[in-house]
Amino acid sequence: MATKKKPSSDQGSSSSALDSSRWEVSCFWERRLQKELMSLMKEPPPGVTVDAEGAGQNLTQWIIQMDGAQGTLYEGEQFQLQFKFSPKYPFDSPEVTFIGPNIPVHPHVYSNGHICLSILTEDWSPALSVQSVCLSIVSMLSSCKEKKRPPDNSFYVKTCNKNPKKTKWWYHDDSV
Amino acid sequence: MAAANEPGPSRNNEEKEKEKDERMFECNICLDTARDAVVSLCGHLFCWPCLHQWLETRPNRQVCPVCKAAISKEKVIPLYGRGSTKQEDPRNKVPPRPPGQRSEPENNGGFPGFGFGDGGFHMSFGIGAFPFGFFTSTFNFGEPRPSAAPRGTPQFEEEQFVSKVFLWVAIMFVCWLLMA
Ligand SMILES: [Zn+2]
Ligand SMILES: [Zn+2]
Repeated sequence: MATKKKPSSDQGSSSSALDSSRWEVSCFWERRLQKELMSLMKEPPPGVTVDAEGAGQNLTQWIIQMDGAQGTLYEGEQFQLQFKFSPKYPFDSPEVTFIGPNIPVHPHVYSNGHICLSILTEDWSPALSVQSVCLSIVSMLSSCKEKKRPPDNSFYVKTCNKNPKKTKWWYHDDSV
Repeated sequence: MAAANEPGPSRNNEEKEKEKDERMFECNICLDTARDAVVSLCGHLFCWPCLHQWLETRPNRQVCPVCKAAISKEKVIPLYGRGSTKQEDPRNKVPPRPPGQRSEPENNGGFPGFGFGDGGFHMSFGIGAFPFGFFTSTFNFGEPRPSAAPRGTPQFEEEQFVSKVFLWVAIMFVCWLLMA
């Protein structure tokens, strides 16, 4: 495939590149991820943009730009989410973390980017998708009343595994 | 034989037309048109292989991927469209699972010379109550079974002869099984 270095906003060229590579896909999880990628590019939820070029080159790792929703505490902010998929996807949940310079200050988001959200571990279902996870995170941010870190942030960040899925999360508060 | 005469191209066209109609019948897990489709009591559609894998993933907590209702293998309904050739319950055939391995009890009493080589490949036929011990030893690949008699002795020759006889009996029995 031709490696055109173009700004990531140019989705047209990368979408056609994906079209041609779609037919080489045979594995179950790759096939499903290709389908998700296509639909996320065609009909992205508001404030959510997928780096289609990067994801097309390496389906196991996606970067998603997320805008803070209007009328919320995060309005005007931009965040980056990283999705990592294992070959067991969608039976196994993706590994989702905030990355980059701006980690949202939120009672369920640790300063290392780990997110305490039950659908990312025990409440995961194969009917969920990148899109539905993004929407859950947007709504989690949007319902926030006060910007603050989780109370155990400094201890957790020092002691946790790099993979948030290894954390035994304790989901106690869904209202924030 | 009849299937070989089926023209290829027209079948392709058919499939393309079908694709348009079937978009609304997508499996909630693979996002493809549901194959070997089953529907849960809560009304959600899946391929049976997809749903089966999900049920295996969390055997202690079997819930519908879409609505989290309780779900189980027994409580899904297979869907048979008009186009489906065989009305076979997909739960019976997919996903293909390795058949349970059934080993016959050792039968040393009748034939003292026929020990079982351990660690070899056993081909045993678990049908009925017929003692298949000699079968197993005849089809034993891998390590040669320990022979009771040393090579070259008359007893050894006799054993070889007996085992050949049983091989033939076995082959004829298999033929009879196939014919019946
Ligand atoms: Zn499926
Ligand atoms: Zn359901």
